[in-house]
This record gives sequence, C-alpha cells and structure tokens, in this order.
Amino acid sequence: MLTDRLVPLMATLTALFFAAQMMNYPIIGGTTAHLLGGPVLGITLGPYAGMISMTVILLIQALFFGDGGLTSFGANVWNMGVVGVFIPYIVLLLTLRFRKDAGSLMAAAFTGAFLGDLLAAVFAGLELGLSTLSFPYSVPVAVTAMAINHSIIGAGEGIVTALILGLLLRVRPDLLSLPKAAPRWMGEFPMISSRAEGKR
Amino acid sequence: MTRSMRLVAVGLTFAVVFVSVGVLVLSMSAETLDEVAEKFGVRESPVYKPPLPDYEVPGFEGNTAVSVVLGIIFTLLTLLVTFAVGKALRSPRT
Repeated sequence: MLTDRLVPLMATLTALFFAAQMMNYPIIGGTTAHLLGGPVLGITLGPYAGMISMTVILLIQALFFGDGGLTSFGANVWNMGVVGVFIPYIVLLLTLRFRKDAGSLMAAAFTGAFLGDLLAAVFAGLELGLSTLSFPYSVPVAVTAMAINHSIIGAGEGIVTALILGLLLRVRPDLLSLPKAAPRWMGEFPMISSRAEGKR
Repeated sequence: MTRSMRLVAVGLTFAVVFVSVGVLVLSMSAETLDEVAEKFGVRESPVYKPPLPDYEVPGFEGNTAVSVVLGIIFTLLTLLVTFAVGKALRSPRT
C-alpha cells in the first residue's frame, strides 16, 4: 500500500539515488562502480514502491542520457528494479522473523544488498548470454564475468546499505516502520523500534 | 517546516553533495559493465539518440559547472516525477 506518508520519502530517496548513481567510485582494475540504491529503496519503502522508484530512475537515465538504453529498459528494470529490490527486502523480512537486534538487522541489510546486486548481475549475464544475435559468448561465460566483476559492487552496496539502515535506526526509526508497499503474501513487515540496538 | 519537508530538504542536500562530488572529485573511468563489454568486444548500436548523451550538454562537454547544474536539475526532476507518480498510485484511503 502506497500511503501519503510514504510518497515524500519515496520521492526523496529516488532523487537521492539518482544523484548517487552519478557518483562513480573507483574499484580495482581501473574501473568504477556506483550505488544502485535498490536495497535501501526496497527496505524503507517496500519492494513495490522500490521497484517504481528504480523504474523512474532508469527511465530518466535512458530517455535523457542514453544510459542503460531503451531496448534494454525492460531487462534493466527486471535486474535492478525487481531482483535488486525484492531480494534485499526478503532477506531482511526473513531475518526480522527471528532476530530484531541492530547487529542482525545490519548483517541482513549487508547480505540482502550483496545478494540482490549479485543476482541482478547474474540475470544481466544470463540475458547477455542468451542474446545470441549480438553476443557471441555462452551463458556460463557471460554469467561468470558479470558475477565476478559485480561482486565487488555488491559488497560496496552492502556496506552502504547497512550503514544507512544503522543511521536510520538511530536517527529516524519511524521511517523504517512506515507501512510498506509490498505483496500481501509476504505478510506484514515487523515494527522496527529505536531500541533495536540491544540484544534480542 | 513539516517533517516531510525537512526530510525532502535533507535528502536534496545530500543529493546535491553526491552530484557535486561525483562530477568534481570522483573519476569517470569505465564502469564495470562497460569493462566486461569491452573485454568481450561488444559494441553499442543505439537505436535512439538521447538529448544529453553521457550526462553532458552538447557544446559544453567537459564543463564541470554545467555538469553539476545538469545533475541538480535532473535530481529535482526525478524528485518531482516520483512525487507525481507516487501521488497518482497512492491508496485513496490514506
């Protein structure tokens, strides 16, 4: 459910991660990477709203800057807007069923973000490998290359996601407890309180 | 100032910092996906010509001030578009 209280947060985080995606930081091998933002969007807004946010970012990037491209837009939305948003949310949701201390939440945020980014890269590799008309390499080759290179990005995304979650727990825990726009079959997102820093 | 307005203001402040740091400080060498593509010899064959290719205004390529302003304008555009989409999709009972 997308509520009136969620909309300003959704707009702010979407703008924030649009800007963050312009900030390329150097990683090994002379290449750069940037945050995707899917994990934070999914965790704070819920996966449906996070998916919409990521779709807006990808659409603006493709339409105005040619970043990502229009013909690959659907694939990018699936990779970064669905896989990269739902996986971190599901990992945190499952963790919250068993533990609610801040350490566990931050570990779940890191793990979910890492897995989300990694799986998004695996899907991108799969799509590239299956594009036999334009890509001459097999699926295993493409998937391996994407997974290895993007695991570093996943680790970076995991660290930043855990730090942002930790910051929100301390400063604005109410933002984490807003009703999430999520599928009903996933169930209610448990309340996260500012007391999550203690042991369970 | 309401809490929502304060949230938007703080978020936009960070966004402006991200855009400025991204354009002014951090390098713009190849992204990981581009690196993988280059390794496999894959070339782009665009079917659409964007108005601002590679986040630069034609005629002002390499001008960092223009790039920062462009980033800020499109950050605001992203905020407004998402706000409009969110308002359109929100539950009518909230």
